[in-house]
Amino acid sequence: MGTVHARSLDPLPMQGPELGVQADDMDLGEPEHEEKQEVLENKDVVVQHVHIDGLGRTKEDILTYEIADVFRAKNLIDVMKKSHEARQRLLRLGIFRHVEVVIDTAEGADALPNGLDVKFEVKELRRMTGSYNTMVGNNEGSMVLGLKLPNVFGRAEKLTFQFSYGTKETSYGLSFFKPQPGHFERNFSINLYKVTGQFPWSSLRETDRGVSTEFSFPIWRTNHTLKWEGVWRELGCLARTASIAVREESGHSLKSSLSHTMVIDTRNSTILPRKGALLKINQELAGYTGGDVSFLKEDFEIQLNKTLFWDSVLSTSLWGGMLLPLGHKPSCIADRFYLGGPTSVRGFSMYSIGPQSEGDYLGGEAYWAGGLHLYTPLPFRPGRGGFGDLFRTHFFLNAGNLCNLNYGEGPRAHLSKLAECIRWSYGAGIVLRLGNIARLELNYCIPMGVQSGDRICDGVQFGAGIRFL
Amino acid sequence: MSLAAEAFVSQIAAAEPWPENATLYQPLKEDQILLSDSASSLAVQTFLRMCGLPVLVSCRANAEYMSPSGKVPFIHVGNQVVSELGPIVQFTKAKGHSLSDGLDDVQRAEMKAYMELVNNMLLTAELYIQWCDDHTATEISRPRYSSPYSWPLNHILAYQKQWEVRRKMNAIGWSGKSLEQVYEDVSQCCQALSQRLGTQPYFFSKQPTELDALVFGHLFTILTTQLTNDELAEKVKSYTNLLSFCHRIEQTYFKEHERESQSGSSRHSKGSLP
Repeated sequence: MGTVHARSLDPLPMQGPELGVQADDMDLGEPEHEEKQEVLENKDVVVQHVHIDGLGRTKEDILTYEIADVFRAKNLIDVMKKSHEARQRLLRLGIFRHVEVVIDTAEGADALPNGLDVKFEVKELRRMTGSYNTMVGNNEGSMVLGLKLPNVFGRAEKLTFQFSYGTKETSYGLSFFKPQPGHFERNFSINLYKVTGQFPWSSLRETDRGVSTEFSFPIWRTNHTLKWEGVWRELGCLARTASIAVREESGHSLKSSLSHTMVIDTRNSTILPRKGALLKINQELAGYTGGDVSFLKEDFEIQLNKTLFWDSVLSTSLWGGMLLPLGHKPSCIADRFYLGGPTSVRGFSMYSIGPQSEGDYLGGEAYWAGGLHLYTPLPFRPGRGGFGDLFRTHFFLNAGNLCNLNYGEGPRAHLSKLAECIRWSYGAGIVLRLGNIARLELNYCIPMGVQSGDRICDGVQFGAGIRFL
Repeated sequence: MSLAAEAFVSQIAAAEPWPENATLYQPLKEDQILLSDSASSLAVQTFLRMCGLPVLVSCRANAEYMSPSGKVPFIHVGNQVVSELGPIVQFTKAKGHSLSDGLDDVQRAEMKAYMELVNNMLLTAELYIQWCDDHTATEISRPRYSSPYSWPLNHILAYQKQWEVRRKMNAIGWSGKSLEQVYEDVSQCCQALSQRLGTQPYFFSKQPTELDALVFGHLFTILTTQLTNDELAEKVKSYTNLLSFCHRIEQTYFKEHERESQSGSSRHSKGSLP
């Protein structure tokens, strides 16, 4: 919470003899205490000055928005509350290492008798912070270098750069973020990146070099993001034994797309929430701002959580999406949806559900997936209050389907196609929460409704990730 | 692939007969394919015709990237993918079709030597003229190579290919040569081929071999492709026995309706032989 120092007000001479305390009164402590309480609540105060000490490169105009509210406080409790809020707002700008608040009586020539000075003592973050890691995994070792420049030009802009040099692939990303002064939730960012990925379930290798700009702004209770993205995609086969369907997708293509995302998130936490709901709807239109690929893509994500008796949480989620290729070319394998794996329908191998050719999974143009989870604390609650709170047991039921659509048929045919041959699974496992970003799962799964061509992983399955069904 | 795996794969390949739906992939004929790729593709097609093996020609904009070695053409037979003439000859041999069985060891060594000559001289000269000669590169090669892609990807890919070819020319020492010297080299290569051919119908008397297919592929394409000037074609035309050699093979293997699709009406190719 931070420290808020408040020196006591000197008693005003106007009040009269009731405030006076007799020196030889036996109950010196209590009456004094009661009177001080009275003083704090009833006293009208005026905030005369608000200072911010410790500024270096930060420009003052963006800070005035955050601290403006403090001037409106009417009594001391209000001042303390509003200073606390202002402190939170200053911290969320991401440019200060810590912020301390000092409330003092007003001093100086124009000081009113009931005037207050509020001072924020801030310490700015360093101009540049760097990090260096090495990562090993999947037959590849890489060196990752990260650079972060918070508050580059003084108005809470942030520049981050990450570079990863590996034995097989090299990738990098450069990102510039700028919030609107006074409205931190309205911001825009520009990203430049090159990422490479290997997808053994499709025998595919993908290299993306792209640039994107996005604007975020809140409207009422929802958060909207508008983004333009231009990506040069290079696809290749991972192995000589890749199927001809995947080999045909090799080569270069350019995607230029506009997308819009709307998010309403009332959950109390992103990982293992106890209550609240999430609704996320995303549209992407590619091809009308240049590029080779042309499609309209819709996908949505819904999650509802409710705490039940005995500290357990019931959570349901539903995902779905549809890809509609515009023009004459068929959809590209890099745009299609994939289903299956420890982060989506558990019990199946990673992205190994749906249309496939010679063992390579090609993805589909429409999908849906649903999950029903019951999270409970570990049985007998070991390590309660500490480490044990990071773990949860969960019982789950997952279902989903993925297929390609023949757009000559009507929507009724599409719905019936998605409803037949549903893959589903059930089981139980343990979930470990990693910070506020990721989670690890170890589950025992029983897959059902398996169609020919799907690859299953029944029995124990391990999963790590950020977004789980 | 390891040696053991390759041997295993060729064993499996040998067991299966040549399927009906074997496909050959090359870049788009009308707008994209360049002289060197067209020559290589024609050589493979001629070879397969000489063996009597049916193959469908499929034109794809991304044929170069689909190929396992990055070079066109490549054939898809059964579930095997093989690219370039050398490996394709070996692949068909494993299936029991070969044109050079009748040759003795000396002749086979000679054939290999002449094939190397064609690859090192003619093919490299074609690449040089296409990508290292600025005029040809700007007028023909870059626009054609990048035609299936949209801006700015077309420029990026075209320049990338040009730098790659120029680096290769540097590595083999051709970057110092002038265009005139390259034409001289082509002329000398044609002279050597002409001398070897003499008055015979094919390079090794009565029966065609893969050398005939390779030479035909390159010479025919040079004669029927329109570049910025006609000098390259003229160099070849000055050897009359090579000219009649090309006519003969065209008549024998590309007659009937195939002739129209082969030397079709594209801006790049001039159609049949002059």
